[in-house]
Amino acid sequence: MTDSLAMRRSASARVGDALTVVAVELVGALYLRQFLLTDDWRLVIALLAAFAGALVLMERQPALEARIEGAFAAQSRLAMLLGIAIVLAFPFALEGNTYALHLCVISMLYAVLALALNFQLGSANIPNFATGASYGIGAYASALLALNFGVSFWLALPAAAIVATVFGFLLGIPSMRTRDSYLALVTIAFGVVVNQLLNNLDFTGGPNGLVGIPVPELFGHSFASPLVILGAELPPQANFYYLSALLVLVSILFAERLHDSRVGLAWNALRADELAARCQGINVTWYKVLAFAVDAFLAGFAGTIYAFYVGFISPDNFTFLVSVTIMTMVIAGGMDNILGVIVGAFLLTLLPEKLRAFSDYRILFFGVTVIAFLMIRPQGLFPQRLRRYGD
Amino acid sequence: MDDIVFQQIVNWITLGSIYALIALGFSLLFGVLNIIHFSHGDVSLLAPFLALAAVSAVGSALGDAASPAVFLLALAIAIGLTGVIGVLLDIVVIQRFRKAPAMMALVATVALGIVLRELIRHLFPNGSNPHAFPRLVSGDITLGRFNVPVFSLMVVAVSVACVCALFLMLNGTRLGLHIKAVSQDRDAARLMAIDPGRIFRATFFVASAIGAVGGLFFSSYAGMARFDFSVDVGLIGFSAAVVGGLGSMPGAIIGSLLIAGLDTLVQAVVPNGASYRLVFVFLLVIAVLVFRPSGLMGRTLVEKV
Repeated sequence: MTDSLAMRRSASARVGDALTVVAVELVGALYLRQFLLTDDWRLVIALLAAFAGALVLMERQPALEARIEGAFAAQSRLAMLLGIAIVLAFPFALEGNTYALHLCVISMLYAVLALALNFQLGSANIPNFATGASYGIGAYASALLALNFGVSFWLALPAAAIVATVFGFLLGIPSMRTRDSYLALVTIAFGVVVNQLLNNLDFTGGPNGLVGIPVPELFGHSFASPLVILGAELPPQANFYYLSALLVLVSILFAERLHDSRVGLAWNALRADELAARCQGINVTWYKVLAFAVDAFLAGFAGTIYAFYVGFISPDNFTFLVSVTIMTMVIAGGMDNILGVIVGAFLLTLLPEKLRAFSDYRILFFGVTVIAFLMIRPQGLFPQRLRRYGD
Repeated sequence: MDDIVFQQIVNWITLGSIYALIALGFSLLFGVLNIIHFSHGDVSLLAPFLALAAVSAVGSALGDAASPAVFLLALAIAIGLTGVIGVLLDIVVIQRFRKAPAMMALVATVALGIVLRELIRHLFPNGSNPHAFPRLVSGDITLGRFNVPVFSLMVVAVSVACVCALFLMLNGTRLGLHIKAVSQDRDAARLMAIDPGRIFRATFFVASAIGAVGGLFFSSYAGMARFDFSVDVGLIGFSAAVVGGLGSMPGAIIGSLLIAGLDTLVQAVVPNGASYRLVFVFLLVIAVLVFRPSGLMGRTLVEKV
């Protein structure tokens, strides 16, 4: 019904929608910038409180939420173009603050991981506690290729993604038989086994990890040197900022296409009722294994970029707790909701960093904040939406 | 039989009994509340720290920290307090997720586990460092050619006693009857004038107190209390419960013995086995679940159509 109304919207309503989209995106960008740049813990708390307040307001006033959502649906092209422009311009607004830029890169890599997991957890309701392991497999595969065989970053990237996907298929095989908590344990076990092997095998460097992963180059431009755009110089981190932004964009497109395709529908059918889905002729096993493979594929990409960005990886970067954090991003952010998952990823990556003012207490605050947000919105920050057809 | 083999068997049974105490809590809570209480391992391993704090508190009150009576009293206090903390977690956090999707409760309890671990680190003096935790009893008993540590005998005896007590409570008391009723059908139980909230709290108390006994034994076995023990112990306890079949008490015990057996075997047989033990343990977990998807003693899932 809303769709037919949207078509008959008057010109003034369209201007209103456009203004809403611009306002929401600008406020979001300014909020993120302020959050990244501030060192004052009082301001961090105030910003968090403002975010919580906005959530409470949305919980109380569903009409407001529906209004914003409607505006984005009506002006989706404007929303996307403006979003891309903001992402491109964002590093210039950070006043050369390399730490803030670094946090952006890490947040975006986690956003990719969370989007990858979202295919399983959000779309198909498969609990996977091994995304951290796939991330690690991607990182180690590319780093080993680069260190032992001198493979360049651009070749290591797809190679590592393929290796991670193969392992994803392997992990997916037990999922044909187990479900729910039992399947969750299989993935936990897989993650622990991978982490322990990375920690103990010789060729992975054991607990010391791998050091000296070479810096990528593109057309002679080393990613370790500052990026100069139109005369303005950006810190070297900006290279990886744009690279991971591109990966996030690809992941979003990937996620949207899959969500709107038969595959996404099949996954949603699995989530709703596996038995009913099987009765409809959906090859349940294939779609489950496919979800594992897609998750591992994207995680392999993120892992490679991480390995080449930081230049040093160790098993500590890919523990069970990393998988749990990614899981938390998807669940706290909103299952099967692309925007929610990205917001969740940024929030949970930035929170522990911004709570450094509390130095030793920051992990405690992290845990408390996660519980608090879960209690404010027990269905997730941005709950899954009903599928809409016809627009 | 070789002395070393015998020694390993003693280790196996001891470790298996300890894991079983933790796994029983996972199984009990899943059976009654249908949630995976991921911070159960963290709750259980609060007990050694509470015991250490109670020793110094009780010791300074009575003026004799070294006496066995003080230590026993401290252990009892730790077990009781851990049970109460389990109940408090349910009242403050977990009960708010009764109607939310099951995954939300899982994530909330994972976060709770982080909070508990960090609280130990900050509230306990020098909480980040390992603290020496004494063997509860020392000495050996000679059985023919073999020496058996009294500690192992005590662990097995207490674990068996806990399991029997739990069994009797579930099958022979009014509370047990109510717990079973609530686990079968929450709403029907409410119609029979049983308050499910009260039953949940009772279950949390029992599960956390039994877990506390396991936590105390584990620290005593390892000779120290560490704030991050709970990660491995919690994962192993959860695995034991799942391998056995979630919700099944005998399953939790069998799963624990199986995992402890492999754990001991790997450490004894495989070179450098101590660092690979978790690899073998979790490969076993995967293998069992591939061949028995609902665990060894789990009910085969009957689906609604």
